[in-house]
Amino acid sequence: MLELNNQYTTIKRQVHTEVLKQFFQDTLVQNVDKIPIQLIPKQRIPTRCCIYKERAMVRYRIMAFLGFDIEREDDEMKSLSSYVQEIMEEDKPLSPLLTTISTACSSCPPDRYMISDACRGCFARPCLSNCPKDCITFSGGKAHIDESRCIRCGKCMEVCPFHAVVHIPVPCEQACPVDAVKKNEAGYVEIDWDRCISCGKCAISCPFGAIVERSTIMTVAKKLKNRDHMTAIIAPAIEGQFPGTLAQIKHALLATGFTSVIEVSEGAHETCLHEAEELASRKREGTGFMTTSCCSAYMTLVGKHLPFLENRRSSALSPMAYTAMLAKERNKDTSVIFIGPCLAKKDEAASLGTIDGVLTFSELASLFVAKDIDVREMDATDLEDVSRFEDCREFALSGGAAACVNKRAAIGDEISFFPVNGIDRKMARVMKTWEKRPVDADLVEVMCCEGGCINGPGVVVKPSVALRLRGGNRASSPVEAMRAILKPKE
Amino acid sequence: MGKKEKVSVRICVGTACFVQGGADLLLYQDFLDPVVLAGCDIHGISCISGCKDDTMAVRPPYIEIDGKVFGEMTQDKLCKLLREAVHA
Repeated sequence: MLELNNQYTTIKRQVHTEVLKQFFQDTLVQNVDKIPIQLIPKQRIPTRCCIYKERAMVRYRIMAFLGFDIEREDDEMKSLSSYVQEIMEEDKPLSPLLTTISTACSSCPPDRYMISDACRGCFARPCLSNCPKDCITFSGGKAHIDESRCIRCGKCMEVCPFHAVVHIPVPCEQACPVDAVKKNEAGYVEIDWDRCISCGKCAISCPFGAIVERSTIMTVAKKLKNRDHMTAIIAPAIEGQFPGTLAQIKHALLATGFTSVIEVSEGAHETCLHEAEELASRKREGTGFMTTSCCSAYMTLVGKHLPFLENRRSSALSPMAYTAMLAKERNKDTSVIFIGPCLAKKDEAASLGTIDGVLTFSELASLFVAKDIDVREMDATDLEDVSRFEDCREFALSGGAAACVNKRAAIGDEISFFPVNGIDRKMARVMKTWEKRPVDADLVEVMCCEGGCINGPGVVVKPSVALRLRGGNRASSPVEAMRAILKPKE
Repeated sequence: MGKKEKVSVRICVGTACFVQGGADLLLYQDFLDPVVLAGCDIHGISCISGCKDDTMAVRPPYIEIDGKVFGEMTQDKLCKLLREAVHA
């Protein structure tokens, strides 16, 4: 996966911030076509072939940010301002959540292993003796790989004492746990929607920024401008994403224009209660393992690839679903906006019908900057009594959800638990074997992103930073908090 | 020889800096050389308004070293700047 901060994310944040700024100043229609030129000025030294291509890419990023599906709705004759006018009139649906920019795609050649110049043609030749397909030959004092026989096992790379074997992957294909990212006949990236589980790993792995998320932020921005009643429901992973405490983040959301804010941890408490009850009855009946149901990408994975897990996963709704119910109970006319690190939640929201919008932390960051809101300058709002669900903030971390369920399960015996900490290609294969060989555990906690939601595709900061800013008042002085010693996990 | 004063480093923790790469600078304990780290006095500073100043030629994230403002800061650039400042 790519480093979180790179030229692509920087440009993307600039594009998003600029669009929102102009939108709130009521100048977006007039100025939107100028944004690509402003952000990519003539004197810039381009990193793609030329500044004109870079400008074209900014145009596409604006389209995706406005909510258009580039694959289907790209009309090169149409100006960005007419796209903006279109979006002002009608909201775009939540899915599909990804769209591709074929002209950004570099058509990476198929993944392969290569012997570099570092090969010294040594006497031991471990590559030769360890290759299971005998595809290594020596000529000119160097090793060569016979492409037609190579099965890409990587053995030669492991055993070379000179690190002379390099693996050149196709980042998007390697990141996808379910083989949903493919190349079309023209060689450009294409997503197979029948397989895609919406995890978003491909989008954050492509170094060319060719897979982009289709945002639905304009739906929210329009409501903010109209001062509609809106409830922001914030995922537990939000703590640590901004320079301020949870109470300050809550205040910042109110200052942005949301009418009220509810922590999704509150809904997570409900999820835990249901799961704990279910776990207890399964244990009594001895029906074997149960999996959690909070991760949307995992839920789609079950539906599309692992149908035998249908009756293994908990029937509890996700924390987001319960929290949306709470929000509607408190005010039935409110629009519920989920704010989280996750792309898959958009798919879940589309199927639920109680959610009116989904934002990522990254989109919220642009919103804060565009509205000139400094989280750190906010007073702390009263979070009221959170004792009931405070521990559920740990849902953002791998192991956290299981711990909360365990705490609420009123069973005498010990509950054994197996964490699925991130679903990659290998883990997806392991999970397939569970049909024949069930996991020897009572509770399987599944989180599609390694480390948990704090490593989701929509985060602002790296997990290593977020972890040190979570809890208590730490984030009120972020620089100093970094020096504090982390408490060992209980 | 008198004891050398520590280099004063102020990392902007305003939201605009933080979300545009500034958060990475918070990992200073991991990426700075221990000797350099010992020679610096590192603290946070509220938004220094660099992002709202149109005359500013560089973009966020900003950092202040001995009173001088630097922009578009990265871990790598900070390493270099502080090495020079500490060993000056």
